[in-house]
Amino acid sequence: MALGISQNQRDAELLARFSKGDRAAALALTSRLAPVVFAQAFRMLGDRAEAEDVTQESLLRLWKAAPGWDATRAKITTWLYRVTSNLCIDCLRKSNRNSGDEVPEVADETPGIDLKLQATARAQALQHALQTLPDRQRQAMILRHIEDLSNPEISDIMEISVEAVESLVSRGKRALASTLAPQKKALGLEDD
Amino acid sequence: MTDKDFNYPPLDERKLGLLFNAAQQEAPEMGAEFLTRLQSQAFEAMPQEPKMAFAPEKLSLFERISDVFAQFGGWPAVACLATAGILGVVIGISPPDVVLDVTTAYFQTESLSELAGLGDETEIYWEDT
Repeated sequence: MALGISQNQRDAELLARFSKGDRAAALALTSRLAPVVFAQAFRMLGDRAEAEDVTQESLLRLWKAAPGWDATRAKITTWLYRVTSNLCIDCLRKSNRNSGDEVPEVADETPGIDLKLQATARAQALQHALQTLPDRQRQAMILRHIEDLSNPEISDIMEISVEAVESLVSRGKRALASTLAPQKKALGLEDD
Repeated sequence: MTDKDFNYPPLDERKLGLLFNAAQQEAPEMGAEFLTRLQSQAFEAMPQEPKMAFAPEKLSLFERISDVFAQFGGWPAVACLATAGILGVVIGISPPDVVLDVTTAYFQTESLSELAGLGDETEIYWEDT
C-alpha cells in the first residue's frame, strides 16, 4: 500500500537515526519497508526467490544512501519504488522471460466456494494475468491499481511523463480485461 | 488468440476493480526468516557512531543554579546571605527598641545645622512630627 506524506517524514527521521547507528531505527525501517518492497517485486517477477533477491538489493542500496540522504529532495518510498522497479526490469531482461504466455485457467466454479478462497483465487488469477503484460505496462498497473499510487507519483518512479503513465495504465487495463474474461465465471464475477 | 476468446466480452471496470481489491488483500507475504536476514543486513550496513569518552551531560535547572551558587560557597553560604538580607529589611521596616535607642543616641542633636556641621549661623531645626 502507498504510504502517506507524514509516514514519509517519519521514515526520513528513522533514516537519519539509522545513519547515527540507531539499531531500533534499523529494525523499524526494515519492518515497515521490506514488506512493501517485497510485494512489489513479487508482483513484478512472479518468483519468490527473485523477489527476495531484489528486496535485499533494494534495501542495501537504501542503507548505503542513508548517510547522504537529502530529505527535501525525494520521498524514501518513491525512491525505493523506483529502485525496486528498475531492479525488477533488469532481472526480467536477464532471465529473458517472455510475456504473453498463456494464462493458466482457474478451476471451474465450485458451488459454495469460501469467500477467502475466492479472494485468493482472484488474486492468483490477476497475478498470472499480470505476467502476460509487457514489463512497463505491468509495472504501471501494479503501482496504480495495487499500490494505489497517483499518476504523478508513478511518473516520478518510472521517470516518464504523466501522459505516458496514463497510456500504459489504459492499455494494461484493456489487456487484463480481455485476458481474464474467460475466467469470469470461475472467479465469481458473473453479472448480478 | 483462440476462437473461444471471442465469446467472452472483456471484464468491465467494476469486475477488474474486484480483482485488484483481492490482490491488495492477498499481499504476498515474506517469511519471518527472510525478515530476520534483512534486519541483520541492516545492522551490518549501519554506520557505527564513535562513542565519546565523556558525553556532555544535560543539566537540569536546579543543577545549573547549584553550579552558580558553588562560586559563592554553595547553598549554605547563599542561605546565610539571604537570611541576612531579609533580616535587614525587617529591621529597617520595623526596628526593635534597642536599635532605636542606639541610633537616636548616635544621631541626637539640637539642630540640623549641628548634624550637617554648618555651625550656628545656619538656622535649621528638626520639625516635630
